[in-house]
Amino acid sequence: MREKVNQVKTINRIATVFSVEIIILCLIASLRFVNIQSTITLIIFNLFFASLFFQLNGSSTTKIGMLTAGNIIGVFWNSFFYYLSLSWIEYFGLSFNAVFTLIYPILNLMWIVPFWSLSLSFLPKMQFPKTA
Amino acid sequence: MLTEILNLFFFFSALIIGAYLIRHYIFTLTVLRSAKSKPVNAATCKSVYEPSVSILIPAHNEEKVVGRLLQKMTELSYPKDKLEIILINDASTDSTGRIAEDYSNQHKLIKVLHRDKQTGGKGKASALNAALKQAIGEIVLCFDADYLPHSDIIAKIVEKFSDPSVGAVQGRPVVLNEPRNIVTRLITLERIGGYRVDQEARDILGLIPQFGGTVGGFRRSIVSGFGGFDESMLTEDTDLTFQIYLAGYKIRYAGDAECYEEAVDTWKAYWRQRHRWAKGHMQVCFKHEYQVLTSKKLKWKEKIDGLLLLHIYFMPIITFLSFLAGGSLILFGSPVAGALWFVVLVSFYSFVGNYAPFFEIGIGAHLDGRKRVQWLAPLMIFSFLYNVFICTKAFFDLIVGKLLGRSHSDWEKTEHLGNGNCYIEN
Repeated sequence: MREKVNQVKTINRIATVFSVEIIILCLIASLRFVNIQSTITLIIFNLFFASLFFQLNGSSTTKIGMLTAGNIIGVFWNSFFYYLSLSWIEYFGLSFNAVFTLIYPILNLMWIVPFWSLSLSFLPKMQFPKTA
Repeated sequence: MLTEILNLFFFFSALIIGAYLIRHYIFTLTVLRSAKSKPVNAATCKSVYEPSVSILIPAHNEEKVVGRLLQKMTELSYPKDKLEIILINDASTDSTGRIAEDYSNQHKLIKVLHRDKQTGGKGKASALNAALKQAIGEIVLCFDADYLPHSDIIAKIVEKFSDPSVGAVQGRPVVLNEPRNIVTRLITLERIGGYRVDQEARDILGLIPQFGGTVGGFRRSIVSGFGGFDESMLTEDTDLTFQIYLAGYKIRYAGDAECYEEAVDTWKAYWRQRHRWAKGHMQVCFKHEYQVLTSKKLKWKEKIDGLLLLHIYFMPIITFLSFLAGGSLILFGSPVAGALWFVVLVSFYSFVGNYAPFFEIGIGAHLDGRKRVQWLAPLMIFSFLYNVFICTKAFFDLIVGKLLGRSHSDWEKTEHLGNGNCYIEN
């Protein structure tokens, strides 16, 4: 029994280390292949997410898993729109760059807000549920 | 020159918006920490403090809901010999008065105050003032006609008055008709952010919890000392909040004193209700702003929170103008601080009544044990944009009204249909 508990703990630790590595890789990838804004967005997302989400009930594996998923989604989302903007700048000219700067935070909020709302559902219910 | 003005406006407005975001982040963290330290299923109220209580229920054409409220009132667990219930039938043209009289005949503690078109019909504050003159309770509680209280709500609210420095106590409204449609669901989210997080955090941090005019009460002696409610105010509850603090008392929030309410369920009704709230809140802001700044009875943190609270209905206008200013600067190639631009856009995912951002709403819903309601958070942006128009119109109506010397003197009420039963009958 004790051995099994230790095994689970070890697996959790490996998963945590693996997740942290993925998050770091996402940050590096966003800086190397996307742009500095996307890296800053991911850093803000990580700080905000960690400070609130990690205080809720639930296993730390689930929480770090959600944080990792958020980073992966963030990198793909940002790279998709970044390369899309590059092709549009090619087509419409440099003036499109201003439009992209204008809508850039909105595009990021389009994944951050739903992701935040959905990720809360993966945690166990907290106290004080409403009953008549 | 224009660019410099736009830059300056954008910078300062984004800073103000950032201040609100930080405020709500602190609120969210405070409530999270408090929830972790609270025992689950905290014991029910065991207070021995039982002062005499008068319950005032202003009703103007409320025949669809007044009966069920009076029935709930007869089921209250508070000692009947210390309780009186005054229903103000204020110039109703439907059968509100008859229904109330029927209950009054069956239950001694229910009294009905009839006001005809000559004496009444001048709005909620006027109706409350008339009843306040007849009330004999040490503590006066107010309930709107569409509310449905739990049987132990009086004890939970009154318990906080055992502290003599407490001038008023606010309970928690919970939306009863939540599943009805998208409007009621969004209002539910807004209520969760406003009460489960905002009000509770303000109470914990010793700031200014707001008296909401219903599901709450005040010391009769204090409000009588003010000469009753200010009838020129559209939101007499917010006005009372600041009068109480400026008089040196405080307001407490009783989150466990829950009462079900019927939320508006159409965008048109939502517009009417929020327009009244926005206009009333702005009136109160103009009335108390200077006093809050200069008061010696308020602590510095109460002053800051009070000022932020007073200006909350100006924020959708400021946020939208900030968006236009920032957007113009970006499009014309002028550099704008990226972080500030992000802050402005984040606040589009906020509710207007409390300026609660999406993360606060999510945490509030989670603390309430909700699993899915927060999935609607992405829609907050549409509600916010709708409120930009509401608050802008309210602001211009207020200014035009002031210039033309108009004052309101009638009921600007929300129609209650008695819909919804997600907690009571399901």
